[in-house]
Amino acid sequence: MKKMMAMGMAIILAAGLTACSGGETVREETTTAASAASENKETTAPPPAGNSNKVKKNPYTEDIKIAYIAHDLSTPNNQAWLEGIERECASWDNIVVQSFNGESSAETQVKIMSDVINQKYDAIILQCSDGTALAPSVDDAEKAGIPVITLNLDAYTIHSALVMAVDYDAGRMVANEMAKEINEKGDVVIIQGVAGLTRTDNLEKGFRDTIANYPDIKIVDAQSASFEKETAITVMNSFLQNYEKIDGVFCINDAMAEGAALAVQSAGRKGEMVIWGADGESDALAMIESGDMTGTIYTNSWDEGSTAAKIALLMIGSEYDSAVLTETPQVIMEPIVVTIDTVSSIPPEDRW
Amino acid sequence: MKKINGPGLGKPIILAVFMLVLTILRPSSFLTVGNLSNVLWSISVYGIMVCGTIFVFLIGGIDLSIGSLCGLCAVTIVKVIRYFDYSNTGVLAGILAALAVGVLAGLVHGVIITKFRVPAFLITFATQIIFLGLSMILTNNKILSCLQPELFTAIGMKKIFNFPIPIYIMLLIAVISWFILRKTVLGRYVYAVGGNACASRLSGISDTKITVLAYVFSGFTTALGGIVLASMTQQCMASTGSGYETEVITAAVIGGVSLLGGEGTVSGALFGAVLIGLLNNGLNLLSVPSTEHGLVKGIVIILAVGFDALQHQEKFRNWLSQFKMKRAREAA
Repeated sequence: MKKMMAMGMAIILAAGLTACSGGETVREETTTAASAASENKETTAPPPAGNSNKVKKNPYTEDIKIAYIAHDLSTPNNQAWLEGIERECASWDNIVVQSFNGESSAETQVKIMSDVINQKYDAIILQCSDGTALAPSVDDAEKAGIPVITLNLDAYTIHSALVMAVDYDAGRMVANEMAKEINEKGDVVIIQGVAGLTRTDNLEKGFRDTIANYPDIKIVDAQSASFEKETAITVMNSFLQNYEKIDGVFCINDAMAEGAALAVQSAGRKGEMVIWGADGESDALAMIESGDMTGTIYTNSWDEGSTAAKIALLMIGSEYDSAVLTETPQVIMEPIVVTIDTVSSIPPEDRW
Repeated sequence: MKKINGPGLGKPIILAVFMLVLTILRPSSFLTVGNLSNVLWSISVYGIMVCGTIFVFLIGGIDLSIGSLCGLCAVTIVKVIRYFDYSNTGVLAGILAALAVGVLAGLVHGVIITKFRVPAFLITFATQIIFLGLSMILTNNKILSCLQPELFTAIGMKKIFNFPIPIYIMLLIAVISWFILRKTVLGRYVYAVGGNACASRLSGISDTKITVLAYVFSGFTTALGGIVLASMTQQCMASTGSGYETEVITAAVIGGVSLLGGEGTVSGALFGAVLIGLLNNGLNLLSVPSTEHGLVKGIVIILAVGFDALQHQEKFRNWLSQFKMKRAREAA
């Protein structure tokens, strides 16, 4: 029964995406199947009770307000999502997109959620700094009839939709690519992000689980650089000092991979190791082109933001009621493995 | 005038113990020129900043805006370089513009604090928000990358005799600050104003001028820090430099600089910065999980500062007993 419901939701979402994209090819793979990543999501909580306040509106003629609550609006990913949302809504004068900066703080996001619910926004696109802390706010919004679409960082409660880039699988892809490049043997280090965020934990888990399949590859160290390029330079310098031989570096995001590449370059050890990131931001693509970085897992974040906006409009215009859900429906964006051989396949207009 | 104190023996002892442990556990990687270079490189941005901000601390002031001002200066140089199409002319113009922004910010701080007699804490807290807001507007809250020209990237990355350029900048600024504070009348005035502003005013020292100069120099070194940071990361964004005020204040306080003014040295402040850098480096070299770094760092800092405090307490006790004995002799 649960599967039937989930499949039904997936069909509705897929239909909405196709309708809103004006005939464009929709690249996203819509799925509710439990991916390895989603196994970690706490989406088995009971659904919010009695969501009966949903008011159907025509999203293309009536006044519509969509709130985008970012984890940290200054990062390239958050900016690209915002731009994607704005691009999607730009053709409709009646739609207002308002962005809010969560400043990497769940507490700030909870306050913003409360304001946005009180101001009766029509939909909320949210990137949760803390899935557990934000869960009650997400429930409140859904009960008030405001659909909540989470972006990459999930809320640990059932809600309207989750649009996400692959995380566990991205880690798996990097591990396999790296293993191929270093002939399935060698010493590898990891530069971690902030622990406790679903995406980053899953990326690392995917990488570690897959590397475990290669007995001659050893993960010799892992340290956090808190997603920061500058800190990654310091951490990579310590690794370079500590280990005479490093064959591979996996950084949980591109900013840290760029920092690691700069440290390796400065130490005169460029070419000794492969350096991988994940995200696909434009600077990383430029460094792959110049040979400073080896690869990344690219996700079209503009497209991801645009997809979230399409789902929001679909839900505003329908009698959709998240109370019937038994798990959060997901849209998973297509991951692209980018190396020096494939980087040219990402056209300039898709580089965020 | 208060005594110009350097760091006590407690911190060097803790540092020496920490270094000894690392040398034993990581003989091939810790005590090497390369690693020393890495440690100094990692502290260079706030090392440069603390050499100027110490003037503000010494006059009894505080500057909470240095983090966001560092970011604004980083944004300024990157914007100018991009405006000049990544040319070397753009780099030179950008450096001048960033330094001008830093000096101007310091001047504004100094003038407002002295003319309107407003607490430095409030003013610099307000300007911290203003600078961050300006950076957000200038960057449109996006990351501005600046991977060229080489003249720009060299500032933060290029090595001369195995040491990156930021280390030389930090040492140069440290020597200039040390010289001003210890070898010039201006330096004596700085300590005098911080020690007792009223007394220094009565003895003819213009505390207004000294205060303005202290904030201007702090703004100058903050701008230098911003330039180095932008070059190291080859990019900037509104949040660049945020949190550096905490690093600078922590380094200064660990190094024996009193936030009440009149007490502290450049070498002490730099020592505090090096201690933080060595702690970070040591924990990474020992492969201590990142989740445990905060705990270990906190304990080592408490040990270092506590050891110092105990030493001062001992001095105080000796002085008190001597004083009592003297009084007793006089009474007899």
